[in-house]
This record gives sequence, structure tokens and C-alpha cells, in this order.
Amino acid sequence: MNENISRLMDGEVDDAEFERCCADLKSEDAMRTWMCYHVIGDHLRGAHGVSARFSVRFKAALAAEPTVLAPMPRQRTTQPATFAWAVAATLAAVTVVGWTAFSMVEAPPTAVAKAREATTVRAAQPKPSGDVPTEYLLAHQEYSPAMAIQGGGPYLRAATATAPEPRP
Amino acid sequence: MKHACWGAPAIRRIGAAALVLTAVVAAPLAQAQGYAAQWLARVQQSARSLNYTGTVMVRQGARIETFRLAHLFENNQESEKLLSLDGPAREIVRSATEVRYYFPDAKVVRVEPRTIRNVFPSLSPEQTSNLAQYYEFKLVPGGRVAGRNSEMAVFEPRDGLRYGHRFWADPSTGLLLKSRLVNEKGEVIEEFAFTDVVVNAKIDKDMVKPSWTSVPADWEVKQGGPGDVNMTDTGWTVHKLPPGFVKIMEGMRTMAGKREPAVHLVFSDGLVAISVFVEPFTVTQTQIGLTQTGGLAQYSTRSDAFRVTVIGEAPPATVRQIAQSVGRNK
Repeated sequence: MNENISRLMDGEVDDAEFERCCADLKSEDAMRTWMCYHVIGDHLRGAHGVSARFSVRFKAALAAEPTVLAPMPRQRTTQPATFAWAVAATLAAVTVVGWTAFSMVEAPPTAVAKAREATTVRAAQPKPSGDVPTEYLLAHQEYSPAMAIQGGGPYLRAATATAPEPRP
Repeated sequence: MKHACWGAPAIRRIGAAALVLTAVVAAPLAQAQGYAAQWLARVQQSARSLNYTGTVMVRQGARIETFRLAHLFENNQESEKLLSLDGPAREIVRSATEVRYYFPDAKVVRVEPRTIRNVFPSLSPEQTSNLAQYYEFKLVPGGRVAGRNSEMAVFEPRDGLRYGHRFWADPSTGLLLKSRLVNEKGEVIEEFAFTDVVVNAKIDKDMVKPSWTSVPADWEVKQGGPGDVNMTDTGWTVHKLPPGFVKIMEGMRTMAGKREPAVHLVFSDGLVAISVFVEPFTVTQTQIGLTQTGGLAQYSTRSDAFRVTVIGEAPPATVRQIAQSVGRNK
């Protein structure tokens, strides 16, 4: 189970497994592991931008919000604002949950090791250069039926992919 | 006892009845299958055998470029010239025997023996049936493209494993005027479109000749190309092939600049192709993971002593699924 969560975080599951993992994440235990791995991962990467008192201040601010009992009729002009608020609220909720998880969960050592492993594996992978190897591209596209119906299409792609750096 | 024992003629009669029934049920589907494949074959043939010239806009992801294109078909041979109109200067000249890519800014010309085959008319019956099973095909009026009325062919994927394709063609000549690759969110990720075109134009030989009669002395000539393939059983396979894809090629390919031939497998669903390459892993090969250029996704991974690279016009998840299930044939 924990290994599946780790693989899900690394994007190593296929579509069918993805569905299964998402279903599994509905359990409280799995969700705690998921949050825990993320918080650990964030810290290993040095990504901790939220101040310690953020969740406290957010909670206080949320509590101070007046409760709207009669919903306003929805108007077109207010839609972008509503959308922006929805995004902001989601972000805030995620942050609060993440922070709470970090401060509350006593992670077992194996979980820390697992998360560390997932993070280091990802960090160790060389960054893709963004270029498909030219020979591969040329060898591949002679078989692509959709490309074959475009006059010059495959050659345009090859010209873009194989363009050398200009020199004086 | 006798009545329980059916003779051969009775079995044949039942077999014949079943066959007729299958034919009646399957006929409309078979017709639809044939229709989509026929439409594509006609457009492919037109792109090859018509004379035309125009301006082409090409969009890959966020990048847009325009080219001037001239295409001549004479004595059963294609000649073509593409000239970039913006961005770095590029000129591509295709003749019966080779393709030349001129890069004047870099003072480089790449020369490739001409190998891209005429792939479309040879769809196998299995590919043709997969085309109908995995895409919903529709032919609808396409509005105006490059000043012409068009018909639009829509290939809507029936699952999330492939992209949607839209093709706009000139109904009278069958020339492709525009094509689009659409992802699952409905976003256009690759586009090819004429902004103006003259079909059945008078194309002079000069219009499809390189701007340089000979390669200037200070230019570098690079020989390249996809190399030759030796069709053979490679011992490699894809264990979790996404539905609808069938193997259309398997062999060992000798590529320019490589000592050892690479394993090359090609799978197709009738509309797109996905290539699998397997080579011994070397420390100099650093590309691991996913890259995406427009509609083309590439996923490289290491499998023991080998590097597996998968390239195709399919969503990254499909390409990755294939890459992660490449293994030895048991």
C-alpha cells in the first residue's frame, strides 16, 4: 500500500492502478501516509515557504468570517471572483492540511525512509534535454499514418528537431 | 442415437447460416471501417500526386512557424521545397532520391537518403478495423480554410489512450488543407494549416530546386538519416500493449553514428504510430524520463543493461505505459 502511494507520487502507475490508488486514498490511514510523504518530500527538497503561524492565523481569519445564511443569486459578473476565491480557498485548505499533518504526525522511520527514497530517486534522474534523438525521430515518422497525409509534414518536424546552432 | 449424431452437411449448413448472420450484422460496421480508411487513403494519395503551392502554418505546442511550400509530381516522382518564412532560416528540398536540409545560419546541410515510404494505402485489415473500433469517424462540412470550402473528417477517440484528430480537406481534389491534434481537454496541441494554396498549380522545376546550386565551400555537409532496418525477430516485446495497437514492424535498425544496430518495434492503431527502441545502456545517454513536443511524446527508461525509448503521437501516459512494459519475449 505505502509503496503504491510512493509510486503514485512518482507518477509511475498506469491508468488502471491510478484509479485503484485514488480509491485506496479514501481511507484515513492512506491519506495520512500520502500527506506525510508529501510533507517529508517538501522538506527534503527544502520547499517550505509557509510561515509557522500561517495555519493559526488562517483558522482565526476563517472563524471571523460572517456566515452567509441567504445565498446571493449568482450573477455572471461575479464569476471570475468566485472562481479566484475557490482556487484560493483550495490552496489554503491544502496548505493547512499539509502543515497540520507535518506538525501532528509522528512519522514511523520506515515512512521517512520511503519518502526519502522516492525523493532522492526523482532528484537523481537527469533532466530530459527536451530533444527527441534525431535518428529515432527520423526512423519513427516514416511509419506514422497521420503524418503521411500532410504534404511536407514529417520533413517540417525533422527540420525543427534537427536544426543546428547558428554560427558566425 | 442417429438423431443425436449430426452429419457433416448439417454442420456445414449451420456454419453457413452463422456466416450469413455475421455478415448481415457486421456489414454496416465494415462499411464504416472502410469509409474512414478510404477517406484517409484518398487524402494521402492527393498530397503525393497533386501539384500545389502555398503558405503553411505549423504549430507545435506554443511554437508557431510558417513555411512556403511547392510540390511537384512528375513522371511518378515527387519533388518538394519548403522554405521557412520566420525564425531561423531553413530550407528543405525533397527529390526522388534524397532529402536535403539547408541551415544557412549554421552553415550546415544535412543530406539523407530518401526513405520515407508511402505508408497510408497499405493499412492492414486489422488496422482498418481498429481505426473504426477505437475512433468515432465523422465527415462534416468544415467551413472555409485557405479561401476554400472544406470537408472535415473527425476521428474522436473512444478512450483516453489516444488523441483526437481533425482533418480538413478540399472536397474536389482531396488535398489536406488543415489538420489538428487535440488532447483530452480539447486543446489543440499540434496544427498544420495552409493559409493560402493553389491546387493544380503550374509548378516549375526551379520552384522545387535548392537555392544553392552547389554547397558553399565553408559549409559542413552532414550525412544522416534513419538508416536501414533488417526485419527480424528481435526477442523484445511490449507486455502491456494499449488496446487497439498492433505491431506493424519489427527489426534491427542500423542508425547513423551508432556502432550497434538498435531494436526497433512499431505499433499502430491505424491512425498513429508508436515506436519502441532498445539499445545497450551507456553512461553517455543521459535522457531519462518524459519529453513532449507538440503531439509527440517520448519516454526513456532504463531496463537492466538497456535503454528503452518510446516515441509516438499519443498521450504521455500511453507512451509511458508502453515504455514501462517493454521486456524480453519469453
